[in-house]
Amino acid sequence: MTVSALTRPGERDRLIVKLSEIDWLFVLVLCLIAGTGSLMLFSIAGSSWTPWSAAHAMRFGICVVLMIALAVMDIRVWFALAYPIYGLGVLLLIAVELVGDVRLGAQRWLSIGSFSFQPSEVIKVGIVLALARLYHGVPAQRAQLSWWLFIPAAMIAVPVLLVAHQPDLGTAMLIAMTGGAIVVLAGLSWKVIASAIFGVLAVIPPYVLFGMHEYQRQRVLTFLDPETDPSGSGYHILQSMIALGSGGLLGKGYGLGSQSQLNFLPEKQTDFIFATLAEEFGFVGCVSVLILYGAAIFMALRTSYLSHSHFGRLAAAGVTATFTLYVMINGAMVMGLAPVVGVPMPMLSYGGTVMLTVMIGFGLIQSVRVHRYSEVTSGKGSFV
Amino acid sequence: MTGPAIFFEEVNERQGVFHRRAILLGTFAGLGLTAMGGRLAYLQLFQTQRYERLSTSNQFNFKLMPAPRGVIVDRNGAVLAANRPNFRLLVVRDKGVDAEATLKTLANYVPLDDVRQRRLLKDINSAPRRAPVSVMEDMSWEQFSAISVRAPELVGVTADMGEVRVYPHGGAFAHVIGYVAKVNREDISLTGPNADPILLHPGFRMGKQGVEKAFDLELRGRPGARKVEVDANGREVRHHDEGDITPEPGAEIQLTLDVDVQNRALEVFGEESGGAVVMDCRTGDIICMTSAPSFDANRFVRGLTSAEYRGLAGFERKPMLDKCLSGLYPPGSTFKTMTALAILEAGIDPEARVSCGGGMNFGGRYFHCHKKGGHGSQNLHEAIKNSCDTYFYSMSLRVGPDRIAQAARAFGLGQIFDIGIPGQKRGIVPDRAWKKRYFAKNVDQQPWWPGENLSYAIGQGYLQVNCLQLAVMTARLANGVKALNPRLVRSVGGKELPKGSEAPDLPFLREHIDRVRAGMGAVTEAGGTAFRASQLGLGDILMAGKTGTAQVRNYDKGGSRGKGGVWHLRDHGLFVAYAPVDAPRYAMAVIVQHGMGGSTAAAPRAREIMRTTLLKDPELRARIVKPLPMPEIVPDIELDNIPNPTTIERIAAAAGGPA
Repeated sequence: MTVSALTRPGERDRLIVKLSEIDWLFVLVLCLIAGTGSLMLFSIAGSSWTPWSAAHAMRFGICVVLMIALAVMDIRVWFALAYPIYGLGVLLLIAVELVGDVRLGAQRWLSIGSFSFQPSEVIKVGIVLALARLYHGVPAQRAQLSWWLFIPAAMIAVPVLLVAHQPDLGTAMLIAMTGGAIVVLAGLSWKVIASAIFGVLAVIPPYVLFGMHEYQRQRVLTFLDPETDPSGSGYHILQSMIALGSGGLLGKGYGLGSQSQLNFLPEKQTDFIFATLAEEFGFVGCVSVLILYGAAIFMALRTSYLSHSHFGRLAAAGVTATFTLYVMINGAMVMGLAPVVGVPMPMLSYGGTVMLTVMIGFGLIQSVRVHRYSEVTSGKGSFV
Repeated sequence: MTGPAIFFEEVNERQGVFHRRAILLGTFAGLGLTAMGGRLAYLQLFQTQRYERLSTSNQFNFKLMPAPRGVIVDRNGAVLAANRPNFRLLVVRDKGVDAEATLKTLANYVPLDDVRQRRLLKDINSAPRRAPVSVMEDMSWEQFSAISVRAPELVGVTADMGEVRVYPHGGAFAHVIGYVAKVNREDISLTGPNADPILLHPGFRMGKQGVEKAFDLELRGRPGARKVEVDANGREVRHHDEGDITPEPGAEIQLTLDVDVQNRALEVFGEESGGAVVMDCRTGDIICMTSAPSFDANRFVRGLTSAEYRGLAGFERKPMLDKCLSGLYPPGSTFKTMTALAILEAGIDPEARVSCGGGMNFGGRYFHCHKKGGHGSQNLHEAIKNSCDTYFYSMSLRVGPDRIAQAARAFGLGQIFDIGIPGQKRGIVPDRAWKKRYFAKNVDQQPWWPGENLSYAIGQGYLQVNCLQLAVMTARLANGVKALNPRLVRSVGGKELPKGSEAPDLPFLREHIDRVRAGMGAVTEAGGTAFRASQLGLGDILMAGKTGTAQVRNYDKGGSRGKGGVWHLRDHGLFVAYAPVDAPRYAMAVIVQHGMGGSTAAAPRAREIMRTTLLKDPELRARIVKPLPMPEIVPDIELDNIPNPTTIERIAAAAGGPA
């Protein structure tokens, strides 16, 4: 199939054409990352498919199918669903505030029957779609500097504050930064960006000292000096760095990581899976995986570059920004460069929710790619 | 406002800005990933060694193993305290361990009734996490192997082989050797040998009394360690033989005691309460040091039940008190040997006579002699033989307390000896200076009243001694030259401790000592106070001694004069002795608490103990067991004249009958 096929309205709606336009190399990269994750989970469980490895592979398989289904879904359906998804997300966040379950000291989970999930995941997709749609019908001058900017600012602030109140600082930051990235990509004036950065930098220290919960503050302070409390909150960071450092160039060998196999590494199957990888496969393994992540980010960003619709561009770039942030925050945390926040390494870590969110996001990116020549209306007056 | 946003229309500012900024985002992402790569390179390529070390110290652990405790043996090498293997069953409280279900399962293999299960469950739940709780000690081999085979299914259960202290002679050595028991919180200190982490080991036992306590550090040895791989919860995953440190067993301690004499001594006390000490009066070695009644030290190792403890602590005859070292008694008439020495030292003629009419008046009070009718005219020798109180009353007024105290101290009374174990009580040897100190606050009581000399002279009054001191006194008298020191511990880890005979000479004339000894010899001869009770029955080996009957209260208030009635008001019976009379080899002291009489309660027991001691001595045994004279061989038949069988047959045939 050629690009020209996509420019012909009749031709480009055929399923086979759409499927052929999916970035299969990108899918391959994702498979490699998720496969590495499954491999590591097998090792951590003591060379066992259960409880994690098989489940991880299976979930990923389902998510790939879902991603492909979402990829062939018309970009205008995404466009139409943008506000409803955002609205639903915010409603769920309010619901969780009122009736959510408290797990591990934070109110993050919402149960419907036996199924429970974190509404913050819905809003991660929702904020990207809603902002992309909002900016889609807005001229460059407004996006650059105008009173209108209070609308996207409010759209970001509402979910961020709700999530922060749960309290889930990591996710709140992630949503805020994703939203911020879209606003910047849409053409925000450099003056505003610069003053915002200064503002944030000025606010952080007093917030850490006065605005945080005790455990959050402890985490931040521990991060600044992990060895002050090697058995308490510094334990995670220290053990993770030991796992990393002791891996060396080529690692201790598959299944031979003493830090992870003997449970010194906390959350080894989720947030700290990268440390397990580092311990067993060393520098070479880590860099390989980082290159895979880099490739995924690059390909996703290129998709946004190719899109001819502003909605498509911003949506794809927004998802890419989220993904990048996940990788950066988790990586920095594992390497002792950031405080411990509950952000997993996407596709590598065990955990269904994040994988689902990320793969839905990638479905959106592929949809943008497949429909890069489609006309998207300004959508004025239409919510569906 | 704007028209349909078709892609053709949009080669515009928005797209341009987005493209530029998307490149910027990509650049940031690239920089971020590069930074991560750099950080990884720093940690994994340059800091590897440091983190490898940390990782190893996480992974491997050394688990302490207590060393086998040193063995304690008697002077001939007979074992008095040893270790035996103990198969223990331990249950640990940890994640994923259902203690209740585990105990139920274990009840299939070892006897654990419901009551015990409930108590153990409480113990397990109150124990710190991962600290093993002993569910069963001393399992049989069958039980141990049954559990070991099923160990993989039984989470949190371990069966291990430890060592437990055993005292094969039960009670006879309980006071001298003491016992070991679990370490208490108070035993652990922050510094010094008791800060050793081995004290926290569940199998470790610490010496709590006697030799076990005094030589605890020597007996402990050096603990070893097992190199094990552990997980983050400290659970053992694998064992690495090559990294093990083998423990160094504790030092062997040899005592001077003799197991047979010691056992015999406890036996002869029977129901009575008291102490017996036998010393070698040439070397100072303590051959026997028995306190009765005793207790089984093995029970203390296992841990006493509260009923057992109450039984021991509440018994009137105080089984846990060491009556040889910690019990103080008035020496009674056994002290007359010291008074006699003081009389001789004062220059009084031993032939000077005192007439005894059953007592004497002094200071408005009548001091009785133990013989109501009196002994008649007595010199020193007769006074010792008959234990005439009147003679000593009378002479004490000429001697004074300071001379008596001087003699008593020279012979070891009022002294604490370095025998290696704690618990000795000094007692009191009074004199003028002592009284002044003692009544420092009460000036009226400070002067020494002449009347006090009288009771002092017969071993009463303020005077208090322990059984070991009496034995030392007798041993020094029997030795005659050296101020012998007692020795209980012969060697520690093969290194011999100094002998008791490495001591200065006694500051008394040999002639005076011999006179006292002659008196003691007369005590056990016909007519002496202990004639009947002290016949050894060992041929020409005889025992010399001195009886003593010490009153524990003032008889003036009436009552049965200490010869009956309530147990704790009866007189103490004492006897000091040495044998053989001609060449003293062993000296001893026996105190029978509230035994009523020295000649009736103490002397017969002393005789039995002395017999055993003498018979254990090969030299003396040779003297006792004389070989039977060989009968003279008289060759009455010439061998050549024996008729050979054929000749007999011939004779029979000649006689005309069958052979």
